[in-house]
Amino acid sequence: MRVGMPHMGNIYIPFKALFQRLNIDFVIPPVSNQRTLSLGVKYSPEGLCIPFKLTLGNLIEAAELGADTLLMPGGYGICRLGYYAKTQEQILHDLGYNVEMIQVGVSEKKLFGILEMIKHLSNNAPWSKIISAFRFGLTKLNALDKIERVVQKVRARERIKGTANHLFAKAVKAIDQADDYDTLKKVQTEYIDQLNQVAKFTQAQPLLVGIIGEFYVVLEPFSNLDIENELGKLGVEVRRRLFISEWTKFSLFLNPLGVNETDRIHKAALPYLKRDIGGDGWESVGEKVLHAKEYDGLVHLAPFTCMPEIIAQNIMPKTKEVIPVLTILCDEQLAKPGTLTRLEAFVDLLERKRRSKDRQQPVLV
Amino acid sequence: MIKIGIPRALLYYQYYPMWQTFFEELGAEVVVSPPTTRLMLLNGSSRLVADTCLPVKVFVGHVLSLVGKCDYILIPAIRSVKSKIYNCSKFLGLPDMTRAVVPESPPILDVEIDVNRGKRSLYQAIYKLGRHFTWNPFKVRRAAIAAWQAHLNYLELMTSHRLTPPQAIEKIAGVAEAEPGTHSSQPASTQATIALIGHPYLLYDEHINHRLIHRLEQAHNKVLTPEMLTAEELQSATARVVGRAYWTYEEEVVGVGEHYLRSGADGVIGIMVFGCGPDSVMMDMVKRQAARLRVTPFMSITLEEHTAEAGIVTRLEAFLDMIDRRKRRQSKVYA
Repeated sequence: MRVGMPHMGNIYIPFKALFQRLNIDFVIPPVSNQRTLSLGVKYSPEGLCIPFKLTLGNLIEAAELGADTLLMPGGYGICRLGYYAKTQEQILHDLGYNVEMIQVGVSEKKLFGILEMIKHLSNNAPWSKIISAFRFGLTKLNALDKIERVVQKVRARERIKGTANHLFAKAVKAIDQADDYDTLKKVQTEYIDQLNQVAKFTQAQPLLVGIIGEFYVVLEPFSNLDIENELGKLGVEVRRRLFISEWTKFSLFLNPLGVNETDRIHKAALPYLKRDIGGDGWESVGEKVLHAKEYDGLVHLAPFTCMPEIIAQNIMPKTKEVIPVLTILCDEQLAKPGTLTRLEAFVDLLERKRRSKDRQQPVLV
Repeated sequence: MIKIGIPRALLYYQYYPMWQTFFEELGAEVVVSPPTTRLMLLNGSSRLVADTCLPVKVFVGHVLSLVGKCDYILIPAIRSVKSKIYNCSKFLGLPDMTRAVVPESPPILDVEIDVNRGKRSLYQAIYKLGRHFTWNPFKVRRAAIAAWQAHLNYLELMTSHRLTPPQAIEKIAGVAEAEPGTHSSQPASTQATIALIGHPYLLYDEHINHRLIHRLEQAHNKVLTPEMLTAEELQSATARVVGRAYWTYEEEVVGVGEHYLRSGADGVIGIMVFGCGPDSVMMDMVKRQAARLRVTPFMSITLEEHTAEAGIVTRLEAFLDMIDRRKRRQSKVYA
């Protein structure tokens, strides 16, 4: 049995560590690239969103490398995602790949869906072994996200553009290769130190922009043209709530205790949207309300034809809390030059707004 | 008397008799918006972001046409009507979205229906809706039971008499149709039997689909629609293709498609709108199934605001010609 799964950011690294420790043969398809996208677009129904197309491309590339068991998140009560595994399996079969799809119930059972899947894949390995492997994977995930948070800060301030990215790429590689907790810890502190020592502009406080929107397009840089990096190049500090490590932390340890990371956000959204509408639509509205005072602006990422985000997009301009929002719809037609122009214009607008605020003058509309 | 506005869009075609009975039992008057017009669609789409789907734009147009004509507007948020089968996000966000984009609308009655939360919360939701008219829970209960009975009668009427929802609504409630006699009795000599699959709000809104049923019948074709199948037929057909249904409306697309693709129709036409989330996957399932079975020709038409009448007519003619040719060839071979 050779296991394959789609990419989403660096999530393959913790899974690789996990599967290695459980002796599961894990096939990693090439990180999402133009070919992945072309494959996905070619074989997908046209009206589907970019997460479907890219993950299908990943799965085809995994199948080409010999994977016969493919993992795909799913479950009831969310957006179209619950239907994806079913459709992708049919597409792969029609293409002649003899693969088995395993739907991982992340939305209903949260992390326990993943644990169940691992138990199944590892031929019923003892729970003690699974938990210890899982813990190691989780540590890698946490290390990755911790470093990424620092990178988001450094990118906006570094004197030589690209230093942080270069270090981040090296850190990702080192974390991937780390074999035990000690090395991992050393790698983590070492790279965070290095990042903190990067030469920075210190005089000005950079603009603060929040990234909100749909889970996949926020977390997969290929699908959003690596927008965080582009904003960093423009000297903007980026913040986002969505980190996979946050999600695992809450769904594994805190959700069972009744603590929910999104409660605060949902409460903020209540006056405008009373209920969960699937996907991340509720959170998008809530985050806009919540961050209106905190940030200079928001970049709202949504896949084209995403149902929950369309609802959110219709509601967001009508909130009392005002903050500039740039909605970027991600699909296979999203091109770099156009998007960069929009980003530059957006950042100009935010700068002007901040200057006029500093001068204590009302913004001229 | 309190006037309740019901937009003639989206779920109207499925639940109108039920809603009407409920409100009339509680002593309210029901106002239905007129059939869709070009202006309504334009008004609706001017309020929404461009990539909102066509039926929702139409819906907002209907809400706008009801402004000033009623005291409340009924916009339910229907999450789930069957255990573990869910609705599209658009239906869940409908009340809140309408409130945001039509600030001048009368108060919105947004009852949330989710059977997964158990009977108690369902009853509470119904009572909360009834509270706008009476404090007496027994009165609400009586209205709800009458409404449910009306709904069952409506379904029964459609399957037994082979009626489309607008025909059945006309028969029960006396709501005048856009053009009386559009879905007239079947012509004497039938060219072909064409099955239509898709959501009721696409098949029966003549403005959205450019009078598709009318056109097919004019060309002497017999038209079959999803409502003409019984629940059992739908369920077993759906199970053959996808196992357990995921969407509320999976049966009327995938199930009906599978049923008619196997037997009973000379051709199947799938109607969907551009940007519809569930349909983009479900129509693809039907397309794949049609290609696998190779029994009945299948065509899917994607509608949007810019769909031109001429284009649809041309595609329909080509499809019907193809079916005609196919029938003649078959009769030659097997004669």
